[in-house]
Amino acid sequence: MKEIIKMMSRPMNWLEKMRKKKKASLRHFIGLGLVFCWLAGLAWWPTLAKAAETEPVIAIKGARLVTVTGSDIPQGTILIKGKYIVDIGPSVTIPPEAKVIEAQGLVAYPGMIDGLTYLGLQEISMVRATVDMRETGNINPQVRADEALRPDSVHIPITRANGTTCALVAPTGGLISGMSALIKLDGWTPEELVIKVPVAMHIQFPMMRGRYRRSSRSVSGSKRIKELKKLFNEARYYEKRRLAAQKNLLLPYPDFDEKLEALLPVVHGQLPVMISVYAEKDIKEVIKFVQEEKLKAILYGVHDGWKVADEIARAGLPVILDSLYNQPSRWEDGYDALYRNPAALVKAGVKIAFSSQSASLAKDLPWHAAKAVAFGLDQKEALKAVTINPAEIFGLGDQMGSLDKGKLANIVLTDGDLLEIRRHVKHLFIEGKEIDLSNYYTDLLHKFEKRLKEK
Amino acid sequence: MKWRKFVGLILAMVWLGLSPLGAGQDLFIKNGTLLTITQGIIHGGDILIIDGKIKEIGQNLTPPKGIRVIDATGKYVMPGIIDSHTHVALSGTNEASVAISSEVRMKDVINPEDPAIFTALTGGVTMVHTMHGSANPIGGENVVLKMKWGKSSEEMYVPYAYRTLKFALGENPKRANMMGFSAQPRYPQTRMGVIAIIRREFAKARSYMREWERYNQLKKNKKLVSFILPPRRNLRLEPLVLMLQGKMVARCHTYQADETLEFIKLSKEFGFKIGAFEHAWEAYKIVKELAAEKIGISVFADNWAYKMEAYQGIAYMAGFCAKHGVLVSINSDSGERIRRLFNDAAKTMRYGDLSEDEALKLITINPAIQLGVQKRVGSLEVGKDADIAIFNKHPLSAYTRCEMTIIEGEVYFDRAKYLEEQQKKAAAKKPHKKGGQK
Amino acid sequence: MRVIRNYLVFLLVIGFFVSSLPAEKVKPTYAVVGCRIHPVTGPVIENGTIIIRNGKIETLGPAAKVNIPEDAEVIEAQGLEAYPGLIDAYSQYFLETKSPSGSTAQRRPPFSAPAEERSWDKTNFLVLDNLKFKKTTLSSLHKAGITTILVTPPQQIFAGVSTLLNLNGEKFPPMVLNDKVFLHLYFTTSRGGYPSSLMGTVALFRQSFPDAQHYALQKKTFLRFPAKVSRPEYDAFLERLLPYVVEKKPVVFDCANMQDIKRAINLIEEFKLNGFIAGANEAWRVIDWVKRAKNPLLVTVDFKPPLGSRYAILGEELKKKAEKEIYPRNPAELQKNGLTFALVSGKISNPKEFIKKVTQAVEAGLPADKALQALTIVPARLLQVDSYLGSLEPGKIANVILTKGQLLTKGCQVTRVFVDGLSFEVQAPAAKGAQAPSVNLSGKWKVTVVSQMVTMEMTMDLTQEGSSLTGRLTSEMGNWEISEGTLSGDKLTLVIAANVMGQDMELTFEGQATKDKITGSISFMGGSAEMTATRIPDKS
Repeated sequence: MKEIIKMMSRPMNWLEKMRKKKKASLRHFIGLGLVFCWLAGLAWWPTLAKAAETEPVIAIKGARLVTVTGSDIPQGTILIKGKYIVDIGPSVTIPPEAKVIEAQGLVAYPGMIDGLTYLGLQEISMVRATVDMRETGNINPQVRADEALRPDSVHIPITRANGTTCALVAPTGGLISGMSALIKLDGWTPEELVIKVPVAMHIQFPMMRGRYRRSSRSVSGSKRIKELKKLFNEARYYEKRRLAAQKNLLLPYPDFDEKLEALLPVVHGQLPVMISVYAEKDIKEVIKFVQEEKLKAILYGVHDGWKVADEIARAGLPVILDSLYNQPSRWEDGYDALYRNPAALVKAGVKIAFSSQSASLAKDLPWHAAKAVAFGLDQKEALKAVTINPAEIFGLGDQMGSLDKGKLANIVLTDGDLLEIRRHVKHLFIEGKEIDLSNYYTDLLHKFEKRLKEK
Repeated sequence: MKWRKFVGLILAMVWLGLSPLGAGQDLFIKNGTLLTITQGIIHGGDILIIDGKIKEIGQNLTPPKGIRVIDATGKYVMPGIIDSHTHVALSGTNEASVAISSEVRMKDVINPEDPAIFTALTGGVTMVHTMHGSANPIGGENVVLKMKWGKSSEEMYVPYAYRTLKFALGENPKRANMMGFSAQPRYPQTRMGVIAIIRREFAKARSYMREWERYNQLKKNKKLVSFILPPRRNLRLEPLVLMLQGKMVARCHTYQADETLEFIKLSKEFGFKIGAFEHAWEAYKIVKELAAEKIGISVFADNWAYKMEAYQGIAYMAGFCAKHGVLVSINSDSGERIRRLFNDAAKTMRYGDLSEDEALKLITINPAIQLGVQKRVGSLEVGKDADIAIFNKHPLSAYTRCEMTIIEGEVYFDRAKYLEEQQKKAAAKKPHKKGGQK
Repeated sequence: MRVIRNYLVFLLVIGFFVSSLPAEKVKPTYAVVGCRIHPVTGPVIENGTIIIRNGKIETLGPAAKVNIPEDAEVIEAQGLEAYPGLIDAYSQYFLETKSPSGSTAQRRPPFSAPAEERSWDKTNFLVLDNLKFKKTTLSSLHKAGITTILVTPPQQIFAGVSTLLNLNGEKFPPMVLNDKVFLHLYFTTSRGGYPSSLMGTVALFRQSFPDAQHYALQKKTFLRFPAKVSRPEYDAFLERLLPYVVEKKPVVFDCANMQDIKRAINLIEEFKLNGFIAGANEAWRVIDWVKRAKNPLLVTVDFKPPLGSRYAILGEELKKKAEKEIYPRNPAELQKNGLTFALVSGKISNPKEFIKKVTQAVEAGLPADKALQALTIVPARLLQVDSYLGSLEPGKIANVILTKGQLLTKGCQVTRVFVDGLSFEVQAPAAKGAQAPSVNLSGKWKVTVVSQMVTMEMTMDLTQEGSSLTGRLTSEMGNWEISEGTLSGDKLTLVIAANVMGQDMELTFEGQATKDKITGSISFMGGSAEMTATRIPDKS
């Protein structure tokens, strides 16, 4: 810096000297100034030009637009600038510099949002070295799923190639598993992937293992609530003691307790809890608990939701359903109890979202939603449950989850119904960037297609 | 007086013969979209079923008087789905205490009360190949069953299928993923040990066969008969002898392409037949060899990455192999996935670009051919068993559900009836619910 | 001379009183008068008399026609019913080792043991060598009217050989009617070895039977042509299996569910065994199969639907209905289809419960007379003791029970039991549901025992858990274990394994207990003694 100033001051000093010598006048100052500006401009022009370039414009033209929040547009255009959708409608003016993607015959949807996955936390489930979503011990509020995230997991490109653009990545196990993060399925480093962290604190109630063999005793559900209440109280008092010590130097300052520290946002009602709860009795007790403790909460799993749908609706709690590949545990509930569950919840006015609850099968998200439609869920509700609903539940409803002006350009273009199995994803955009749809599957496929060509 | 009883008996028999659900095996399916598999699609099609067999298929058929009519208007009618790799309806899956357990038979441990049978029916599955597990290099004899929920195990048993013996290669038989090893690990612990132990057993079987041949020869000599002892019957080697004689085929669980090829080599060494490879997640790497040897595979649509050897299993595989001359069937190997085999078949249209016809074959005629039952089931054809599944939407749509499953003309799953029963149960419970019952 | 003779007679008489070995006692003669007799193999006799002499039924008939002998002790039995002593032909009373708990299904494939180890071979297990006498069991059996029991070995694939006992006392050798009755087989698995699964067990059976046949053939051929045939290697298991496979001695398959019944029938037919089906509470579901059984069935009255049965899995309501209504109809169904069966206790270890369940089967439709036959003559026949047991006939062994009220009806009480002609008075049944103990008697006690012959001082150590007690009596004569004890309210019962003058005997104490004092009497063969105990306070 000093050098530059020195360098700059030399001509000024010479000019000053000249002025003193009555050899230069104001005109010379101005002239020098202009020359200087011109030189600067030469230096900085490329940078400025680039700045303009960082906001590329893409126009997706002629597709059927399923906005989710509004009615479908049979043929329309989406205009993307930078990361955002800047315009959308049946007739949109496309600026000349826009890259146009001809999308006649295709359907555009908002990119799907998966309510709970283990993407990046698990590569091969039986190889423990690759599994990082289940910490040991019962109480682990301090762990963050994004801090175990492996951005180049093969499962991420495979999943996005089926239309998912964002996913919740969550820990599991124990009573309090840790904190989850919402990621976009594109990025080189964990920081690039993470959109929001923490999203929720995860708490587990026991699931009745299925296949009609066990009776549905709510296995020590109330014991867990007691334990949670105790912990939350401990956290509150931990904070109170700290505050007191801050005010009064004579009082001992409590040691840092990572677990209680992590619970503070929860007890203050700032960080929501996502409680995995399944049995009817447990659900009722959890609702009571959440209201008593004044927590922000999201329910997960909720197999017996259809039995207590009204109560869940009254409590205003959203539900993220677990994988519809799980089976009902009581014969009496009927073989399709879990399939019918989403429709029953929606009918009672509960906001639902779907989740794949997987890493290697996260791509199946839309097909869980379709299965619920097969058993009574309204088609539009099913679509909402994989787009705008999870966005809103995770507090990002103003940024994603629908095709709307001002939202992030997370868009998937398919040659058919997004929730159908027999269709293909043709284009995928995450935050305005078109994503290469090749993945581990296609790599291996091409490799061995080559073998066939050899003789 | 006696004649009255006699007449009564005849009338009763006649009535039973004509009565709908239960005793009757006559059925008339009306006005559905028939996905015959082997003879195209018939819109507005009818199927006449007499005595459990498809008697006629066509349009605008006239049903005989008194027959139960199932209105399939707006619905899709396909052959009952065949799941060629499961472990349902068995009391026990593995005899894992020893590496070679070819003496065990799934036929001895059929469990007709397994609720998974009902689960299968709700997924349109009418027949399964239920097998020994993959804990052993040589497992045991498998069995083919029809999912006749509520009937006896004998009525479920399918005697005309190929006799199959379960083999397993790779991580499972070498116990790679067992938590908690005991002090004495079981041989074999490597892939080469697995191949070696199978080779050893076939060699033993050859010797055993030879022992019997020599005994039979000696028996012919009257002078020696009295003191010639027959060999001790060895039930462990006898199924392998049957394989050497071509009377039983191998169904081999395999993952990596290399071990698959090794097993093919073994089969040539001893001259036995391979019915199909199970799972075979790397089959796409060796389509050349599989097509040349005409060996089929029975695989998942996309259930992968649960163990190391399943890590290179790509969802494109089933479609890719099917397109390159390999006979492919899709299986569930699970009491849960068995209810969505039609969804799995649809996945080959998304990954693999199979047509609707090709995709449907993977769960109907292809597994039938692999099990040797294609003359009786696997398609809607006159003369075949009336094993039928009816869906409310096209079976390959993600929005479909199975409405009715029929085996030999008898309705074993009826969703409408099921919903009625559920409603009745709910109505009966309502007054109690207020009392705070669970 | 006379003096010497009298003196000798006196000594002899004393000797008789002092020595109390029942085996050498002359059995008393009894005349049971005025009861309704149910012979089972003949018509009911309304007002009848039974003469028991020398352990046998000497005569029985209408009271008017039967003379009461002079030496007979008359037992007035007006208003009572007389039946043959009941036979429980498949039980595990008195068995020392408990059968392993848990289902036959294995959870994790064990592969620790080398495959050749034969942990499943218990063909050398003889029930008679593994029995432990318990007075309370004997009393409860008598109270239930059961006089003969077949005790079977604990669950194992080749489980062992059963023993038939006539419950005539407190020692096993005199009870034995047949020490080796059946070889018992179970469709279970061998823990920690081969076979670890049901399919493996079936394969094991299918291999073992031809192996035994081959072994027999080998032995026979070797003996005929020792020069030409190699000497067969001794195999202990096959040796023990031979009589059942070659000579067709009877085997019993325990069938927990209907598929087990089919498996057993298949094995019996394939290897031409002399096989019996036991358990079989699902026999009603496979009538066609059980009809193929050539031998009578041993049907348990345990009405719980088997694990894995649709009645157990498909909902709680159905499960309750199955146990209360559906399975109790099993015996009635079998009877309707013309099948012959004995009713057995199986896993029911409480004789009172056993009889209650049989009563339930009668209420569910089994004719009472068939039920009675299933507890008397049918088991006698299949146990091959029907020439001397199983009915009330002259010449048969005097196993007779006297009841107030008809057998197999609610409220029926057994008042007296004769086994082998010996009379056992049956105590009034304890109040329904023993009362909770009123005090805790744990601690040290100072005991005084006063009998006709001696007065003894002892110390007693008691430990009480709930209402059962154990402990020890210490005295000059040694340490005696209190093997059993019950405190019901303030009524105390103790069973003491004593050793008097080199004789092992079981003494029973009955009395009242308070916090610090116990009073009552000890009874033993030939007499009784008064016992008082006062608590020794804790010094600490």
